[in-house]
Amino acid sequence: MLDLTRTTLAVAFTLAGGAYAVAQDLPRLTVYTYDSFASEWGPGPALKAGFEAQCTCTIDFLGTDDAIAVLRRVQLEGAATEADVVVGLDTAIAGEARATGLFAEHGLDLSGLVLPSEWTDAQFVPFDYGYFAYVYNTEALPEPPTSFEELIALPDDFKIVVQDPRSSTPGLGHLLWIEAAYGERAPEIWAGLAPHILTMTRGWSEAYNLFLSGEADMVLSYTTSPAYHAVAEDDDRFAYAEFSEGHLPQVEVAGILASSDQQDLARDFLAYLTSPEGQAEIPTTNWMYPVVDLGDALPEAFTAQAQPETILALDEDAVTANSRLWIEQALAAIR
Amino acid sequence: MLVLDDVRFSHGANGTPYRFSMSAAPGEVTAISGPSGSGKSTLLDLIAGFLRPSSGAIKLDGVDLLPPRPERRPLSILFQSDAVFDHLSAGANVALGLPRNTPRAERGGAVSRALADMGLAGLERQRASTLSGGQKQRVALARTLLRDKPLLLLDEPFSALDDENRARMRALIARLTAERGWTTILVSHHEDDIAALARQTYAIRDGELVPSTMAAP
Amino acid sequence: MPPSAERLSRPYRPFRLAAGAGLSLAILGLVILVLSSILRAAGAEGESAALRVDIPHLLRMSAIQAGLSTALSLFVGLLIAWALNRLRFFGRDLVIALFATAIVTPGVVVAFGLLTIWGRNGWINRTLEALLDTGIGNPIFGLGGILLAHVTLNGAFAARILLARLDAIPAARLKTGQSLGLGAFERFRIIDWPMLRGTLPGLGAIIFLLCFTSFPIVLLLGGGPANQTLEVAIYSAVRLDFDLRGAVVLALVQIIVCSGIILATTALSPVPASTGPSRAQTWADGTMARLLQWLVLGLGLGAFALPLIVVIVDGLGPGLGRVIASSSFWSAAIASVAIGLASATLTLALALALGLGRAAATDRWLKLVLGLPAFAYLAVPAIVLALGFFLFVRDMGVSPTRAAPIVLVLANALLALPFAIATLGPPLEALASSRGRLIRALDIGGFRQFQLLEWPLLARDMGVVFALAFCFSLGDLGVISLFGTDSFSTLPLLMVRALGAYRTNDAAVIAALILLLTLFAFLALPRLFAWIANARSR
Repeated sequence: MLDLTRTTLAVAFTLAGGAYAVAQDLPRLTVYTYDSFASEWGPGPALKAGFEAQCTCTIDFLGTDDAIAVLRRVQLEGAATEADVVVGLDTAIAGEARATGLFAEHGLDLSGLVLPSEWTDAQFVPFDYGYFAYVYNTEALPEPPTSFEELIALPDDFKIVVQDPRSSTPGLGHLLWIEAAYGERAPEIWAGLAPHILTMTRGWSEAYNLFLSGEADMVLSYTTSPAYHAVAEDDDRFAYAEFSEGHLPQVEVAGILASSDQQDLARDFLAYLTSPEGQAEIPTTNWMYPVVDLGDALPEAFTAQAQPETILALDEDAVTANSRLWIEQALAAIR
Repeated sequence: MLVLDDVRFSHGANGTPYRFSMSAAPGEVTAISGPSGSGKSTLLDLIAGFLRPSSGAIKLDGVDLLPPRPERRPLSILFQSDAVFDHLSAGANVALGLPRNTPRAERGGAVSRALADMGLAGLERQRASTLSGGQKQRVALARTLLRDKPLLLLDEPFSALDDENRARMRALIARLTAERGWTTILVSHHEDDIAALARQTYAIRDGELVPSTMAAP
Repeated sequence: MPPSAERLSRPYRPFRLAAGAGLSLAILGLVILVLSSILRAAGAEGESAALRVDIPHLLRMSAIQAGLSTALSLFVGLLIAWALNRLRFFGRDLVIALFATAIVTPGVVVAFGLLTIWGRNGWINRTLEALLDTGIGNPIFGLGGILLAHVTLNGAFAARILLARLDAIPAARLKTGQSLGLGAFERFRIIDWPMLRGTLPGLGAIIFLLCFTSFPIVLLLGGGPANQTLEVAIYSAVRLDFDLRGAVVLALVQIIVCSGIILATTALSPVPASTGPSRAQTWADGTMARLLQWLVLGLGLGAFALPLIVVIVDGLGPGLGRVIASSSFWSAAIASVAIGLASATLTLALALALGLGRAAATDRWLKLVLGLPAFAYLAVPAIVLALGFFLFVRDMGVSPTRAAPIVLVLANALLALPFAIATLGPPLEALASSRGRLIRALDIGGFRQFQLLEWPLLARDMGVVFALAFCFSLGDLGVISLFGTDSFSTLPLLMVRALGAYRTNDAAVIAALILLLTLFAFLALPRLFAWIANARSR
């Protein structure tokens, strides 16, 4: 019995440990990011290959749950963190991340980037963006609502599925979108949405899966989601519902940690990330708009439906100061 | 010589108060008779250590029997029911009676002999759950005898046996008791068994042991 | 005070007691360590946002939901166990294995399986719409949906545990009952119920705690923030507010509430009835009862097995080849199996140490103390455990990424522990109480007792425990997310990644393969254990 235990444990750890067997002496850049960025389907592997080909270095992606988890981990580790670069924070938590004082200035010239608004951030480098929007199936729903007001006015059996703002990045984005569009009237909008909300999931993937299996008419996602179905599945039935109130962009950013002893290498990586070469990997792996003009390299699906006409914005400090309050108000309104 | 000196016990506050005093000589079978529920098994449990008297003394050859835990007492007990492990073979059940230091090479032979003494030769590998009630009782008895302790406690050892086996077991117990000098206590409500085996008999009446006159040979 | 008859009739096992008590203390120490690691990292911040949460409201909501889920699960589990115990048919073992898999399947997978059947676009609605041009709407969201999912997960588990108790009824008792011509109801009351009674409080406590702390299902099917649990508040305190102090306070609230429930049910729990050899059931109930049994079984299969079968059918579709061909799948599968084996071994060792210690104890309080650590993982919120482990490992100067597999093994073992104890505890207890006198009379030592009695008699149950723990480990995401991973991945992690990358099909394939592996483990491992035990005892 005891022998069996010992053998099993030994085998288990050998196997599990084997996965880490890497030993190289090249400079090593550790990148913390969210899981789906680092995964085999995300941009991670291609970016790693592309950057390593030109840097004589090794780049390690370390994926955690999601963007918030990345920030929390860096906060927990403080100056002792192994991370050199963090990739995948978004505009909703950039303010909080900045306030930690853990991030160094990137020193890159970003004036050439194409973004919803001009980019002047000294710490964070944008690498892709999208807009929060409700995605629907054009066959099942030929005439989607064109505003929150219209959505609210629909019969109660018109269902949307959204994410919990406390546990999900798009969930928080959704809340900020309504806040940006309606300000003090936001709780009213939430109350109006309440009968339409089928459920509030923990994360994006559960919600999107509910929508795909036909449980809801629309799902809170990104304006770029339809492009996935068009490109990867050759299915162009999906679209996003453009709302007349306008849409809030989500810009995903990367930053260099002040504690990193690989500042130059980190800067090179961010430069690569925003170069046309690096950017070419983003659209069809992370399913977001690139921050440079890729021309013909951008699949047509990304431009088949134009980006929203009206673009909303929220002040970063206001987000940092008030998001907790806004969440409480929204949850109270739909409870 | 087993001596119980004013051993008192009761099952809870409302149970019958027992007051046991008796003595039993080595090399002899001492019988305890009495109707069901009179306290025969309670008496054995007190001697074996599964119950602890509230006062009184139990001594074997002058040595206080009370302090050691049941498994450390110099005795061997045969329970009335559930006396074998059903999932083990007859042989494995009997082997549990062998002293721990019995050499491996001798164990098989000792078990086979013990089973053969019981008329169960060849049943070593048979699962106990497939044995008849009488066979199980003999397996349990074989194991109990094999332990070879100075004090032997038997609780209705022949209840499931036919006449032939009953006579055979009685003879075996009588012989071993005499040969080995065991102090054997036999609990039974079967007068034939008592008559055939016991030198001395006690009956339990109103919670006390009373020497009985029906003692025979 | 003189030792009680109870104490004298049980094997004297100071070593087992000490091992059990030591282990209990170690697990308690672990929980304290985890919480204090977090408090240390929290520092002395001021006001705590998380504490503005309306705790009494959350507790009330959680308690209602969990109470209903538990009562329903136990009732349904009882019915199914009753039916399965009586009926003999081809594929019965497979059905039992299928029932056992429900609880170890990732909750989200089961939830989606349920949706395929009950959802707006599910089988029932589509069938009804095709036939009658009407549907049942959206019954699966809200409290009803949570209950349905919880009963599916836990009712099947309850059935599995209760069935094991019923199958262990000694053949002699059945013969007596049969010869007395007991009717179906009398038979249940006189023969079955005493056997089950001892198991219900512990089982109920586990299910209650599972539902009380349930998280993904409550969010997925809850229909909004009205239905929430304390666990969600803790999760958001850690992630959103980064309010570690608040998270610890909330975690303590949860631990205290859960401990109260555990203490209450453990104290309630009577000594279970005796165990003995059971033979294949040959005593069939009357026609009406049999009809009812088949009906229960049919409904049970429909409700429990169908969602799982749906998952398998959906998964073994077009994406199968692609997934199987990828190296990431295989490395994740190997890591999952290795971690599963390690944590199953650890679970079995822990469960035996605690269960044997508890069975050796006669003191009421000692029994209680030895029963508590089984529930550690249920009481301590997963994210708090993960965070605490993470900080602790860092404090020790070990890279969290490197420690991830070990922590995962430990966490998974703790996760499976309550189920392991629920499976092994009652028979171990029954063995000690019913065979204690004979064991003492023969002066059988602790090791021999295990070798001769516990191992051969309970090998199959140990196999079930091993399978259970193995499968829990296969299906659990648990603590790994905070640790971050590079090349290291497990099957559920791979599944979640696929979902997060729009790869719904790949995720479905992985879910199906996890389920198949689980089924296989439940079919094979108990047999393997029983076979080894048999081979030895001959």
